[in-house]
Amino acid sequence: MMPETTDVETINRRRMNLALGIVVLIASIPILVTYFILMASSFANQMITGSMVGQLTFTLKNWILFFEGKLTVASAAVYSTWDILRYIFNTFIVAFGVMLVTTALATMAGYACSRMKFKGRKFLIQLLILLHAFPGVSLIIAVYALYIFSKGPIPSQWWTLYAFIYVIVARAALEIPMDIWIMKGFFDKVPWEVEWSALIDGASRIKVWKDIILPLVKPGIAAVAIFSFIAGWGALIYVLVFLPPTEKTLATYIAGLLAGGSLEVVHLPVVAAAGTLYLLPTLIFFSFVRRYMLQTSLSGIKG
Amino acid sequence: MVSIRLDKVTKRFGKVVAVNNVSLEIEDGKLYVLLGPSGGGKTTTLYLIAGIYKPTSGRIYFNEKDVTDLTPAERNVGLVFQNYALYPHMKVYDNIAFPLRLRKEPKSKIDSKVHEVAKFLRIENLLDRYPHQLSGGQQQRVALARALVKEPSVLLLDEPLSNLDALLRVYIRAELKRMQQDLGITSVYVTHDQSEALAIADKIVVINKGIIQQEGTPEQIYENPRNVFVATFIGNPPMNIVKGTVLEDGTIETTGSRLTPPPAVLEKIKRLKLKNILMAFRPENAVVSEHPMEGRFSPMGDLFEVEPLGRDAVVTVTVGEFVIKVVMPTREAMQLRIGSKVHVNIDPSTIKYFDPNTELNLEYIEA
Ligand SMILES: Nc1ncnc2c1ncn2[C@@H]1O[C@H](COP(=O)(O)OP(=O)(O)OP(=O)(O)O)[C@@H](O)[C@H]1O
Ligand SMILES: [Mg+2]
Repeated sequence: MMPETTDVETINRRRMNLALGIVVLIASIPILVTYFILMASSFANQMITGSMVGQLTFTLKNWILFFEGKLTVASAAVYSTWDILRYIFNTFIVAFGVMLVTTALATMAGYACSRMKFKGRKFLIQLLILLHAFPGVSLIIAVYALYIFSKGPIPSQWWTLYAFIYVIVARAALEIPMDIWIMKGFFDKVPWEVEWSALIDGASRIKVWKDIILPLVKPGIAAVAIFSFIAGWGALIYVLVFLPPTEKTLATYIAGLLAGGSLEVVHLPVVAAAGTLYLLPTLIFFSFVRRYMLQTSLSGIKG
Repeated sequence: MVSIRLDKVTKRFGKVVAVNNVSLEIEDGKLYVLLGPSGGGKTTTLYLIAGIYKPTSGRIYFNEKDVTDLTPAERNVGLVFQNYALYPHMKVYDNIAFPLRLRKEPKSKIDSKVHEVAKFLRIENLLDRYPHQLSGGQQQRVALARALVKEPSVLLLDEPLSNLDALLRVYIRAELKRMQQDLGITSVYVTHDQSEALAIADKIVVINKGIIQQEGTPEQIYENPRNVFVATFIGNPPMNIVKGTVLEDGTIETTGSRLTPPPAVLEKIKRLKLKNILMAFRPENAVVSEHPMEGRFSPMGDLFEVEPLGRDAVVTVTVGEFVIKVVMPTREAMQLRIGSKVHVNIDPSTIKYFDPNTELNLEYIEA
């Protein structure tokens, strides 16, 4: 039988995809298995391990316990369902906050780094990478000093709000350098001529930016949004340091309970439920934004 | 309508002088072709007129109005980019409608205009595709449509037909020329294809190294090139150049043959005290034969090659150090034997004389 004729590109792609797929799959097996065990355990009467598959039963008990605040025996007395819901809400606030601040600033700064000529531009672009290399922890003392200093003039009833804003901005600041770099790469791929063309067609600078340029860098924006959302969602140290002790996020809540060796007294499947919940939004958010990431070809422009 | 005037315009990019002190007047309603080799400064000149680049020095006028500091939008130009620059995320229809929507024209009017221009450029069936679903030639026509649809007062075209096949190119070129004349849009058309330039231009501006080499009608450019660069750039094959020595008696000697130049030329040679001279002639103004012909200037050389191109053939002869190409009927050319001694019989009245120092055509040197 004659083989079906295929485009050269298709053949390559298929083989590439297959090979890539296998490699990625093998590499991800440990992670996938771990996550699967985590999620499955949250719906089981005990932690899933290899030996006891036969004795497992399905239950929602863990989730109920978690939402009742009963992550550990001791915590039940301290936390109520309302607290848990508030922590979830807080987590969203911080995650979206970091995402919005990071994405907005990185997009604008990335455009500037890609398009505008200014003194020290090259140096600044190199500096971005260096800045990214600074671990957030090493900056925390300075950031804390600034926090205390800047909090002074603010009336104390606003301090909680200010703490949230401060956490969001500080955490975003850690993400921004790398994301500027990423966005710059996307802007670099948009030819000048497309912008000029729109200007000649009579569009204002703002309109060009909004209607022509942003749609073309959508994949970049999506990527940056995901990264920064995840960063905000998982933020631990900054949240711990700046938010008042009564305000927690899922990250600090779980970490707090697990700290100090209390692992022995917790019911592990409940922790699995907490972990699953902690993962879930990231997964949902990712699948939501994913379709933008691989979109948009820059065709229609030669060369 | 609009006439365009560049007044001593220079554009530098760092150390590169892309456009060097160019003064040019583009008449209202005419089609000017900027012709020149790659990197000559054609695109830069076009962008200066469009307002994308600001001149480093010099002024640009539309009619008598100084537009040097106006934005591209304020100049109301249509521009087809060398790389099309379509909006990749918009369908063809929206690409074309984009400038009209910015002007807030009514929907029905936009629709009829888009369809009209699409029909003209034969892209009506492509309106709901995305640019990446089009061939290069189709993309180019969409770019053309987008520039035309807003009825600009100046139309700027950067190699707008380079990606079309030969037939379509000739068709669109003719249509474009007709439309340009009908609408009377002042147009600047960039190309490095000289046959395209000769075919559609009212005036050709030859530009190289950012400097205007010659400006004139296609006939002037072809028949009477201003300098050696133009002579050897225009024509296919371009003009042949032969160097000669001016003798005491006023004749010119080259590779053993002698020629008496016309009195006007001789006079200029004398006044400029030229010892040497460059002579140029078109390949179609000579005939290669075994024996010298009456009334012709007939230096002798070796027949190197005969390339038949249908009715005519390009015959290559080496005369001394010079390689000469002659276009003559294939039937006659095939009679000649490769490697044999032949004469290149040049019609002396078609020879142009150039000063070897300035490379200027003597006819363009003021008396
Ligand atoms: N933005 C720029 N920055 C630096 N140099 C430039 C820029 N644009 C053009 N040049 C230089 O200016 C000169 C003229 O360029 P231009 O694009 O006008 O040439 P062109 O005649 O359009 O050539 P082509 O036929 O290849 O399109 C070239 O040497 C080019 O390298
Ligand atoms: Mg060009």
